[in-house]
Amino acid sequence: MSTPSNQPSSKNWYKWFDPRGKDLGSYAFILNRITALGLTFYLFLHLIVLGQLAIGPEAYDNFMAMLHNPIFVFGELLVVIAGIYHGLNGLRVALTSFGIAIPYQKQIFIGLLVLTVLGSLYFAVRMFTA
Amino acid sequence: MDMNHHNNSGWSVSFRVFRQKTGKDAHYDTVKLEVDPDEYVIDAIERIWAYHDRSLSFAHACHHSTCGACGMRVNGVEKLTCITPIHTIARNGGIVQVDPLRNFPIITDLVVDMGALYRRMAQVGHRPVVPLAEEPAGMPVRKSNNGEYTRLSDCIECGLCISACPVAASTPDYLGPAVLAGALQHGIKRQPGLLKLVDSEDGVWRCHSAFECTEVCPSYVEPGTKIMQLRRNVVSERFANLFRSNR
Amino acid sequence: MDKPKAIIIGAGFTGVATAHDLALRGFDVTVVERGPIANGTSGRTHGLLHCGGRYAVKDHESAIECIDENIILRKIVPEVIEPNGGLFIALTEADLEYGEQWIEGCEACHIPIEELKPQEALSLEPHINPNLLAAFSVPDGTFDPLRLALAFAATAKSNGARFHLYSEVEDFILDGSGNVIGVKVLDKTSDTNFELRSDIVVNATGAWAGQVAGMAGADVPVKPTPGIMVAYDERFCERAINRLCPPADGDIALPQRRMMVVGTTSYEVEDIDYVPVTKDQIVKMLERGSELIPGIRDAKARGIYMATRPLVGAGSVGRSIARTFKCFDCRETHNIEGLVTITGGKATTLRLMAEKMSDLVCQKLNVSVACTTQEVPLLSYRQFYALPN
Repeated sequence: MSTPSNQPSSKNWYKWFDPRGKDLGSYAFILNRITALGLTFYLFLHLIVLGQLAIGPEAYDNFMAMLHNPIFVFGELLVVIAGIYHGLNGLRVALTSFGIAIPYQKQIFIGLLVLTVLGSLYFAVRMFTA
Repeated sequence: MDMNHHNNSGWSVSFRVFRQKTGKDAHYDTVKLEVDPDEYVIDAIERIWAYHDRSLSFAHACHHSTCGACGMRVNGVEKLTCITPIHTIARNGGIVQVDPLRNFPIITDLVVDMGALYRRMAQVGHRPVVPLAEEPAGMPVRKSNNGEYTRLSDCIECGLCISACPVAASTPDYLGPAVLAGALQHGIKRQPGLLKLVDSEDGVWRCHSAFECTEVCPSYVEPGTKIMQLRRNVVSERFANLFRSNR
Repeated sequence: MDKPKAIIIGAGFTGVATAHDLALRGFDVTVVERGPIANGTSGRTHGLLHCGGRYAVKDHESAIECIDENIILRKIVPEVIEPNGGLFIALTEADLEYGEQWIEGCEACHIPIEELKPQEALSLEPHINPNLLAAFSVPDGTFDPLRLALAFAATAKSNGARFHLYSEVEDFILDGSGNVIGVKVLDKTSDTNFELRSDIVVNATGAWAGQVAGMAGADVPVKPTPGIMVAYDERFCERAINRLCPPADGDIALPQRRMMVVGTTSYEVEDIDYVPVTKDQIVKMLERGSELIPGIRDAKARGIYMATRPLVGAGSVGRSIARTFKCFDCRETHNIEGLVTITGGKATTLRLMAEKMSDLVCQKLNVSVACTTQEVPLLSYRQFYALPN
């Protein structure tokens, strides 16, 4: 570990993502941020796609053809995974914010990770064999 | 050079200690010590000062987790060093890195300025001595008859929670877990000043449920739980205020 | 007229209480401490606010001091005190015999005691030894060590006292005749040196008083006497539990936060900058503690540490205010002006020690202001950080 810059500062924003020395609650927090960024980015992309509609049916059809490329399918799978995780962890945060099951917040996190993996596998199979 | 310790079956552990003097660069000094695995981290730090380097500065007072002075980061994790046995954070032949707490200004070496925490605890009216009858529900305490006894309330203002909190790392304005838990002790019922303080952007709503505070708290305060409880109290108090006469 | 300048070496209980007293009496006070507040013996006290019962048989002077100061501290700094009372319990016939002298002693020292039937004691404190033969309720209390010191320091600071922490006095500044006129200090935060001039230097370094006085060519007959404390991880009782016996090892168990602290032992050492814990002392505390509170036998130790009390040597030269603490005027003992030492004592009597020390200082410097610390309520300990430096 290098010399720590010890002070609270928005310049240290990247330190949110440093999981060293942290426990499960922080991992949930970090993944929540990453999936949030990912989903927001996807939202912008989605708007761009819809914008294609404005150009005309041919441009839209061409664009849709491109999306069958496996790279884009994989990208969409990432969005699905992000959505599953973010939604489930969102439920966890909502529960704890209401004071429900706080002593079990770590177990709930493990549980939702398992569900995320299962959901990811299911959708991966579906999307790549469509 | 080390004097004897608990018994003779010693371990050999290296301590990599953060050093910084005003106006000079920060660096690490490494000292190899013979330690008893049952000793505490603060004992090792104290021996480094006593026998190896008198310029090492570190905070400590009670050595039994009631003063809150000796908080440090040991291998990156916040610990109260007077109650952290060496065998829980190192093995024979290992290296232990000791850093000051995060999110407090460093005065020197392992010493940080806890002033902001103390000032905020004063602001929320946290009392270190509270009659048992007045302890809020949900703080498990040993019961006594007719609330006759007063007892020291649990938070020792050690700052570990603030050091561990990722939100506190991003802004010095966040009140912090200890302070919010402390506000709960007094309660915000009919306390408009306190309500305004905690019901704010840098108060109870800033928390993002990382629960690192609860992880590192040595005093069973469970600040994360307290913050959620305070949120509910804030909501019900604001709701109740709708029905109270406006002033 | 300029305020007389006092430098106090040491920010333990005696140092901060003296800073408070002298500041109130109009002195310009600077406290120089090589670590943080109360990092030596003072911080490590188990925190018993003595009722004086412990000294009621053999040492009436100390006992009366304790009960008087107990009452004063509850008045001036309630913020850091748990006024939960205490019990003295007798477990053997020998204890009962001692008990008779003890009752007389408490009466002579106006320490209010109340005998309880063993059953009554057990219903108050269900975890004490169920085989107790007798019990007495006393006005003991528990305090938070660091916060008690901070409260005095905060009040002193509000009256103009300056604190240089992490600053070690490396030498005295002497005039041509060997008198003390200041100190040379190493600021450990920046590794730089500075000097301070003084009209009087108060050596309030407790167990280190001899070492510090030695820098001026003087000595002080203080015997550093370490003892062990073990803090167990469960708050078995709400009150201090004392063994009704002549003062011995491990005869006190008291609650601090969610712990019970058991102490202590007593032996001499030379080097007190670091005193190691030894396993036989841990075993002793476990045994003695379990006699008072059987549950301790199975409890987990949360913290184990040594605290070095300054005991003043018997029959030593020096102004003897009381047998538990002494003020030494270097001019009387070594013909060195400008330096006084206070050492010995116990936490409960910190304010009184400061009063006597400040009286001596005022006398030496022809300042005729009386002590008011027995009445002045202290500021909140947090003010030490809230007030600007």
